[in-house]
Amino acid sequence: MKIVVTVKLVPDTNSEKRIDAGTKRLVRTGVETVINPFDEYAIEAALQLKEKLGGDTTVTVLTLGPESGKEVVRKALAMGVDDAIIVSDAGFEGSDVWVTGLALAAALKKNGFDLVITGGLAEDGNTGAVTGALAEHLGVPGLTNAAKIDIADGKLRVERETDSGHQTVTAPLPAVLMVTMGVGEPRYASLKGIMGAKKKTIAILPAGELAIDGPIGSDGAKTELVSVAAPPARGKGRVVTAEDGPSGAKIIFDFLKERKLI
Amino acid sequence: MQNVVVFVEHKGEQTRKVTYELATEARRIADALGGKAHALVVGAGSQALAETLKTYPLDTIHVAEDGDVDTFLLDPAIDYLEAAAKVAGPSLILLPNTLAGRDIAGRIAARLKAGLTSDVTNVTVEGGKVSCVSPKLGGTSITSCTYKNSDYGVMTVRPNSFAPAAGGAGAQIVAIEKPAGKTYAMVIESEAEEVSGEIGLEEAAAVVAGGRGMGGPAPFTELLKPLADALGGTVGASRAAADAGWVPYSLQIGQTGKTISPNLYIGVGISGAIQHKVGMRTSGTIIAINKDGSVPISEFADLLVVGDLFAIVPELTKQLRATVHA
Repeated sequence: MKIVVTVKLVPDTNSEKRIDAGTKRLVRTGVETVINPFDEYAIEAALQLKEKLGGDTTVTVLTLGPESGKEVVRKALAMGVDDAIIVSDAGFEGSDVWVTGLALAAALKKNGFDLVITGGLAEDGNTGAVTGALAEHLGVPGLTNAAKIDIADGKLRVERETDSGHQTVTAPLPAVLMVTMGVGEPRYASLKGIMGAKKKTIAILPAGELAIDGPIGSDGAKTELVSVAAPPARGKGRVVTAEDGPSGAKIIFDFLKERKLI
Repeated sequence: MQNVVVFVEHKGEQTRKVTYELATEARRIADALGGKAHALVVGAGSQALAETLKTYPLDTIHVAEDGDVDTFLLDPAIDYLEAAAKVAGPSLILLPNTLAGRDIAGRIAARLKAGLTSDVTNVTVEGGKVSCVSPKLGGTSITSCTYKNSDYGVMTVRPNSFAPAAGGAGAQIVAIEKPAGKTYAMVIESEAEEVSGEIGLEEAAAVVAGGRGMGGPAPFTELLKPLADALGGTVGASRAAADAGWVPYSLQIGQTGKTISPNLYIGVGISGAIQHKVGMRTSGTIIAINKDGSVPISEFADLLVVGDLFAIVPELTKQLRATVHA
């Protein structure tokens, strides 16, 4: 079985990020680039399936980004992923989720797949829409928020988290699947994995080699970023020490009254 | 795009408050664009819910009381929404920024070859052009976006961003025809509710969130739940509490959980690390209770009370109850 995990390369989560007001692009300089933390769960889910299914199951990581992403993608290879594809082209500058969906779909069609696994929300874009876009463009089932995944007889059986609980859904393969953190903590790369990753293939795929169904970059985008501003500052408020329960409660109670919240 | 179509997320006859927020906002946007405000309600309970929706300022409510919507995941709803968008003509599609809303938004945007903006908190219309404001990167940047290269646009809206206002000329309820020749492959075999009857975390006006300092699952139900009830709100949690298994992940606020903007947020035993902060920093008033006065939340809370949460929370609940009953 051919499993492809789509990942996004983003500035490190543990640093405060910002968008440059002039260029309206994410500021990536001076901040380490990492695999979107949500996508590490997608990698973990794929590796678990590979272990369970065995045989000729392979896991490929697919991303859209600069060639310099090679070093970041190598982390996935060290975790146990077999190979990687980076769709890279200067023409993607100014793309939105529409163009990203088209490009990833074209790469998936070229590469072939039985199961595409995606992470949840992208850290930096927050659209969480790639799963749906891929399902539409590829004409296959698209299931989101999967916490448990079973594959038997060419069929997916997935436990999904919903807004109010969970549900079990079945669907035929091929399919696109977005996973939640419920699949389990992403594994660390072993020393052997890190050494082995150096020999694995990272293919660079220019846009010209893909049959992308429309213009790319800002010509193809369906949305345009007009302005970026800093949020209103949230200053340090009052810090009060409470001697005991009743006095602490009174401090809060009075504050709620002052703010007309009760 | 000239018209607006609201996708109504619901369970039977019950819908969330955000539906009414969207219906109200749809009217305002449609008027500014010189178009019509539509809504689509599909699945069990649609007919009854449409009658309730009539008290909001919509022009047309498209209804399909079709069991397939509840049997098969997403696909039937997407097909109906595509049909409604085609009936409405070039339009902006509004959905709530919830798990289900986001799922549908991603699909319908690709289907209609439309732009998609998400987690929108404000919309302006100028010269027939729709701009939407949304906080990005966990609220560290506020962006403004417009749509282009398409007759359609899709938008997920953060709950609690618009005030719902009933009133209107009485919308027309019309049956929408089932799109023909479709087969559905994703079957919902079973469904379980974990937080039924509770207010959704993302739309609650008040959220009381617990963290590592709670020490276990019991204080969530014994301390935080009564406080949340007294405030007419609901309980949330930090990732530490969800990871420890004290609460389900559906209650987690932050980077890898939900993003909330209640009028009032009370963080109990939560340090307020960046991962949590990005999920709640746009809350109206932020209050924290912590035994340590130097925790990160002290930098952005409007009030931090340093003390014993196990002593303070029950007292506060008692005082609030006394006020309500006074």
